[in-house]
Amino acid sequence: MRDEELQSLIGLCAKCGTCRTVCTLYPERKAEIAVARGKVALLEAALAGEDDGVEDVQEALTDCLLCGRCERSCPNQVLVEEIVMKGRADLAEEIGIPAWKSVLFGKVMASAAATGIARKAGAAAERLLLSRVPTASGLHYRFPEGVGAGGRTLPELPARGFIESLGKREAVAGEVMLFVGCVFDHVFPQVGGAAYKTVKASGKSVAVFRDAACCGLPAMVSGDRASAMACVEGNLRRLRAAEPGTIVFPCGSCLLMFKRNVFSLIPRGNPLYEDAVFVSDRAVDYASFLLATGVVDRLPDPPEGERAGEIGYHDPCHLSGTLGKGPEGREVLSRAVGTAFAEMAGADRCCGYGGTFNVRDYPTSARIGENKVTLAARGGTKVISTACSGCILQMRDMAARVDPSLRVVHIAELVLQALSRDGGGASRR
Amino acid sequence: MDPKALTALGELLGDRLRTSLETRICYSYDATGKRFLPDAVAFPDNAEEVRRIVLLANRHRFPVVPRGAGSGFSGGSLPVHGGVVLSTERMDRIVAIDGENLYAVVEPGVVTETLKEEARKRGLSYPPDPASLKFCTIGGNIAECAGGMSAVKYGVTRDYVLGLEAVLGTGELVRTGVATAKGVVGYDLTRMLVGSEGTLGIVTRATLRLLPLPQTAVTLLALFPGNRQSAEAVNAIVAARVTPSAMELMDRTAIDCVQAAVPVPLPEGTGSALLLEVDGPEGSVAREADLLAEACRASGALEVRRASDAQGREELWKLRRSISPGLRRVAPVKLNEDIVVPRSRLADMFEFLAALASRKRVRIVNFGHAGDGNIHVNVMISGTDPEETRRAEEAVEEVYRKTVEMGGTISGEHGIGIAKAPFLEMEVGPLGVSVMKRLKDCFDPNGVLNPGKIFLEERMVRR
Repeated sequence: MRDEELQSLIGLCAKCGTCRTVCTLYPERKAEIAVARGKVALLEAALAGEDDGVEDVQEALTDCLLCGRCERSCPNQVLVEEIVMKGRADLAEEIGIPAWKSVLFGKVMASAAATGIARKAGAAAERLLLSRVPTASGLHYRFPEGVGAGGRTLPELPARGFIESLGKREAVAGEVMLFVGCVFDHVFPQVGGAAYKTVKASGKSVAVFRDAACCGLPAMVSGDRASAMACVEGNLRRLRAAEPGTIVFPCGSCLLMFKRNVFSLIPRGNPLYEDAVFVSDRAVDYASFLLATGVVDRLPDPPEGERAGEIGYHDPCHLSGTLGKGPEGREVLSRAVGTAFAEMAGADRCCGYGGTFNVRDYPTSARIGENKVTLAARGGTKVISTACSGCILQMRDMAARVDPSLRVVHIAELVLQALSRDGGGASRR
Repeated sequence: MDPKALTALGELLGDRLRTSLETRICYSYDATGKRFLPDAVAFPDNAEEVRRIVLLANRHRFPVVPRGAGSGFSGGSLPVHGGVVLSTERMDRIVAIDGENLYAVVEPGVVTETLKEEARKRGLSYPPDPASLKFCTIGGNIAECAGGMSAVKYGVTRDYVLGLEAVLGTGELVRTGVATAKGVVGYDLTRMLVGSEGTLGIVTRATLRLLPLPQTAVTLLALFPGNRQSAEAVNAIVAARVTPSAMELMDRTAIDCVQAAVPVPLPEGTGSALLLEVDGPEGSVAREADLLAEACRASGALEVRRASDAQGREELWKLRRSISPGLRRVAPVKLNEDIVVPRSRLADMFEFLAALASRKRVRIVNFGHAGDGNIHVNVMISGTDPEETRRAEEAVEEVYRKTVEMGGTISGEHGIGIAKAPFLEMEVGPLGVSVMKRLKDCFDPNGVLNPGKIFLEERMVRR
């Protein structure tokens, strides 16, 4: 394995061990191989030709949630997320990507139409095969024990996606572009809808980005550069052609892809670089957009004292951590629900999802997630709100497992509720 | 390593013995950045397993190298002769905190900050605070006798270890010391084990002294034109009979290093800085802070800043805390020394270091625990130029000689490990080394515990 750029990135690690204090996975593994310092040492050995067990090194690199805590606490500012993703991609080029992944990332998720078909098939399958679990956030289906998923639940997949439900001529052009994201389009269309209506409340003309491929992050973190490029390339070209002034992302992980990770795939000098800069410069998170355009200022005063302290905010690692947008989500939330918002116990703890990590090691992912939601519920939180699709998927599953009365929502859903309180005097539940 | 030994270890530990190349690589290094590959990594759960691992080591003659978090600066946890790295990571329980008799009982893998936090919750304090306290372990702290910033008032790890349970090199489980405030029953085996770098025994449980948590603290940052004035202030503070809980000195080289990374506004002509902290009951802390400020001004301080709230104190600490991260920007490799000189010789040592840097044409960044006379001398090099590395190593050796000549010691808190083994005799003399070796033979007759540490060996690699 050779990669000079990777070599120079890992060269900055002084092996001090600070990453051990913050690693989400370390308390589960209690072994150095879990933390950034260990992974850097493995890549060093692989690059030096001292370890040619490529599969085993890949296995170790895959055992990471990419929550980024190590990177943010590193005294030498070692870019651990970049290192892990690059390492996974380099190794994947030697040993290949599992077929199911390259089909899923490169074919299904890179095409809007194929994603829709996959959702319909999934919806039929879960109704036929799985048992029902009602939760405060909606119906879930549970895998039987012993099917390798250890009690995993899935949200009920809708008959229609959000974009599918839009009128043909609705939201086709505008100065603001909404990048809904696969999950908020196909799995939780009510979030896509809430984001759309509340962004429209800015008074600006809003277009919904149709024909969207997946943002490419799942492929990228799996080391599947080709599939990630397949997703990113089409998205960048179409976004550039639409010439929006602002692109709003209700999902923090999609935003991270366009704001930062895209430049690892498309560095300066790449023909798509200008397009990537164009999109990156215009990409904003949902909460910042609502604050900047004054949507929150037009919300009616929330009812005083109602459900005091019951709504918490969960910090998505990518959005609050890597992109530093934790305060914005809280500001929007407190303007929408007032005293119902209170800081949640363990708000900044990782939910344990980690995208493909959750598929690869569900029991560990679920342990971290259950601890997270249990801590919040014990602290009196009844509704967990956030702004990332992966976190919502994970925490809804965890709530279904440990406390189905715990609701998990996107902040846009709460903002929409507040907006409708204004019109027609609809009262909050 | 004998395959039969690995089989026996596997039978004992199951999947808590790991022999994959990947896990071995992950236990091949510490904070020195040097690497030595072990043959296997063991993750025992309890003292009995540690004991049986050491018994197997005696039977099959393989090295056992105890390791906490691998955060040491002298190579204490490096498996220089291969063998088994014995990780204490799974032995991480706080067994008891006795608020009446003021002690805690912990396993070696407990992270120092975890103990400090648990003590704080009960209004108690475990004072030792090595810079790596958020991830280093109590076992490692005991093995290397870790110090920290508060040592000037509260002492080092040694001063808090009341008693130990440890597996000796023979595989015998010994209990030493007391769980009371005093104890003088026979030889002090506890102190014998503290700082022995895992060469005499492997600590499996420790009884640690706790103190009442100080009520409040005040932080001061005093800025001086040069080290002469700040060293004078240190002596003036001692003369004023105040004992600060921190007394950190940064010289021009350290200030420049921080300013390049995260600039802190400083008055023009600042060439040296003293960070001071006093803790205790509210009234007396304020009075002591006044005395400190006075002593600094009388010694020629350009400015003295003061804060008593958490945020303001953190702001003042920023200058000090930014040094280590900033070092990396100066040069990629640091030869990190931790010499101690008598407090009254601090200014002389700083002058010697400045002259040495220009004579040897290497960048040296100095800061440290001035109250203890403990200076972290960081010789900064590229690591890729052998000629520069040679000059840096010569500089380090000169620093050691000067330190011993001034009546100081070559390691205040990092230990000898492999990094300083060649200089052990320079400080303790041939008889000192000989007595130490005789003790080693008594605790570990077959030399299975952490071989290649402290004492110089021919095949050992320096740096």
